[in-house]
Amino acid sequence: MNVSGRYDLVVIGGGSAGCVVAARASEDPAKRVLLVEAGPDPRPTPDVIADPKRQGEVILQSPFVRLYEVERPDGSTFPLISGRVMGGGSSVNNMSVIRPIRRDFDAWSRFGGPAWSYDALLPLMRAIEDDPDFGDQPLHGRGGPLRLHRSWKLDDPADPPARALIAAAADFGLPRCDDLNVPEPFGVCASPYSQVDGRRQSVADAYLEIARNRPNLTILSDATATRLDIAGGRVRGVELATPDGPSTAGADQVVVAAGTYHSPQLLMLSGIGPAGPIEAVGLRVAHQLDGVGENFQDHAVVYITFQGTTELREDYLIPKVRLIAKSRPDLEYGDLHVFMRPSIRVAGIPPLLPVSIHLLDVRSRGRLWLTSADPFDLPAVDPAILRHPDDVRAMLDAMDFVTRLTAHPKLAEFYGPLISPESPDGWEEHVTSSYITYNHAVGTCRMGSADDPLAVVDPELRVHGLDNLWIADASVLPVIPHATTNLAAILVGEVAARNIARA
Amino acid sequence: MKLAGRIEIAAPARDVWDLMIDPVSLAACVPGVQHVARVDDRTFKGTISAAVGPMEGQFEFASTIVSSEYPTDLQVETLGTDSVTRSQLQANVQAWLEPLDPGRTALAYRATVNVNGRLAIVGEMILRATAGVMIGELVKCLRARLEAGAGGRPAAADVAAGPPG
Repeated sequence: MNVSGRYDLVVIGGGSAGCVVAARASEDPAKRVLLVEAGPDPRPTPDVIADPKRQGEVILQSPFVRLYEVERPDGSTFPLISGRVMGGGSSVNNMSVIRPIRRDFDAWSRFGGPAWSYDALLPLMRAIEDDPDFGDQPLHGRGGPLRLHRSWKLDDPADPPARALIAAAADFGLPRCDDLNVPEPFGVCASPYSQVDGRRQSVADAYLEIARNRPNLTILSDATATRLDIAGGRVRGVELATPDGPSTAGADQVVVAAGTYHSPQLLMLSGIGPAGPIEAVGLRVAHQLDGVGENFQDHAVVYITFQGTTELREDYLIPKVRLIAKSRPDLEYGDLHVFMRPSIRVAGIPPLLPVSIHLLDVRSRGRLWLTSADPFDLPAVDPAILRHPDDVRAMLDAMDFVTRLTAHPKLAEFYGPLISPESPDGWEEHVTSSYITYNHAVGTCRMGSADDPLAVVDPELRVHGLDNLWIADASVLPVIPHATTNLAAILVGEVAARNIARA
Repeated sequence: MKLAGRIEIAAPARDVWDLMIDPVSLAACVPGVQHVARVDDRTFKGTISAAVGPMEGQFEFASTIVSSEYPTDLQVETLGTDSVTRSQLQANVQAWLEPLDPGRTALAYRATVNVNGRLAIVGEMILRATAGVMIGELVKCLRARLEAGAGGRPAAADVAAGPPG
C-alpha cells in the first residue's frame, strides 16, 4: 500500500487509544487520516483473540504479544507484555472494563489541571460505555461503543469456594460491590468484561470497525514508524518501514499512540527526549525533554499458594469474583485487587490453591531507554517494581490480610496451610524475588505543565515545544490508576481526539 | 528461584549417595515424573505433567550429573522445555552429604532454578508453589527406601526447604 502523501492526521499505533483517535478523527469526512499499526490487522478476528476461553493461549502462545524481559534484584527474569496487533492491549488483555477511581482523577488533576478531574471527564466516561446493567444511572452510559458484559453477578450461582469467599469477605468488612465502576469501589465485586455475544470486543471492534470503510481513513498494518521528521518546532512527516519498503507520510498533525513502551522509544529515536540516552546510541538531540522514558509505573503482582483441600476450577485469567480490598484498615480506598486462582495440579501431590495479590498503589518509579538506534530493537526497561520500601510493606500487609481471610472458617474448608512462602521469615524474600506485574505499564511520557521538568505533554496532550505532535496512550498518565488500564487508555484516546478536533 | 535445605536420613552415607547418583531410582521418587529413561550413565530424561486450571502441559527435561565426588559434591544440571509456551527452564542442584554416625547421614542441597520466556509469566508461581511440596514428597520417598533398607533409627527433624539463609 502506498501511503506517501499528505494527511491531516497520522496516528501511530492502533492500540486502545490509537483506534479511538483514528475513529473519532475520521468522523469528519474532510479530514484525511492515516492509522499505522506495527502489528498485524487480521480479519476476521482470529479465534484465539475473540474466544475468551482461549485467553491463556493468546498470552502464552500467540504471536500477538510482545515481551520485554526484565530482571528482579536476585537476577531472575520475567517478561512484561504488550499487545502487538490491531486493538493493542484490548486484543490480548483479559477484557476487564474498570474505571480509574476518583482518587486517580484527583492525582491527574494535580498534573493536568481541572480538565482531568473526575467531574470533568465523567461525560466522556459515560459516552464510552454501553452498560446494560447500570446504564440508566447518572454515573453510567448506555449506547456508547464499548459494551460492558457481566457474565456473572453476585447473586448468580457460583462454586462453593467462591460463595465461601463472598461470605468470609463480608465478615472482614468487605461489602457487596455489584458495580465496581463507581468513584470509590470497594468490596466483593462482580467484574464487567468487554464482550459481545460471548466474544471479545476489542477497541478495534468497538471503535474502528464502523470507521474502516470511510474513504478518508487509511489503515496501514505491519508498518513501523521509525522516526519523526522534525523541523522548526513541528513534525513534518512520519518515516515508516512498511511491508512494501520505506515510506514517508506527510502530516499536519501527528498522534503518537504506540503505548507506554514504544511512544517514548519513537520520540527518542526522533531525537526527542533526554540527551544522555539519545546520544548514548549515537543519535542527535532535536528537542530536549528530560521526562521521556522516565516515570515508568506498573502494578506489582505476587502469588501466594495454599495447600488445597479441593480443586478450584475458576477461570484462570478471567475470574468472576474480584476483591477490592485494603492492605491496611486505615486506608481510605482499596489499594488491592485479590483473586482466587484455580488449583495447580501435579500428579503425586495434593492440589495447590494460589491467590494473586495485585498492589494498586505504586510509589516506585522505573524508566525506559533505547538499547540502540535501530527502531526494531526493543527498548530496555527497568520497571522498579516494589523498589520503594512502602510498596513492599503494603504487599506484606496484603499477604497478612489474605492469610487471615483464607483462615476464616468458611474458607478454611477449602484453603489449608500457606505453603508458598512457607515460613513468615520468608515473606519478604518471596515478595521481592517472585513478583510479576499486572501488565498495566503507564507514565513514560507523562503530562504536566510547561514548568514541570519531567512533563512530556501538556494537559491537552500536545508535546511540549512541538506544535503539532500529540501523545495519546497510557504513557501520558502521570500516576497509575487504581484499576486496570485499558479503559483509562480509551479515555485518553477520547480526550486526545476531542482536543485535536478543537485545536 | 533459589532453594536450600538439609535433611537427615537414617541410613549410611554410602547408601544415600548410591541412590542419589542412580538417576532412574532417584527420579522414581519425584512426584509426577513420567517416562523416565536413562540416556547414559550421567543423564536421564523424563516428563512432568502439570495443570493450572484449564491449562495443562507437559514438561520435558533432561538432567545430567555434571560432577560427583563422594560425599561432598554432587551437581546436577537440568534443562527443560514446556509443551505450552516452549519456554526453557534451567536448574542447577548442588548436594552434599555429612556422615553423622555410621547409620545416619545429613543431606544438604542448594538449587537455583531459572525460567525464561513466556513460561515465566506463570511459571515462577507454579515452581514456587510446587517445589517445596515436591521436595517434601521426595524426602519421604528417599527415607522410605533407605531407612527400610538400613533398618536405621528415625531421623531428627528436618530443616525445611526454603530460600537459602
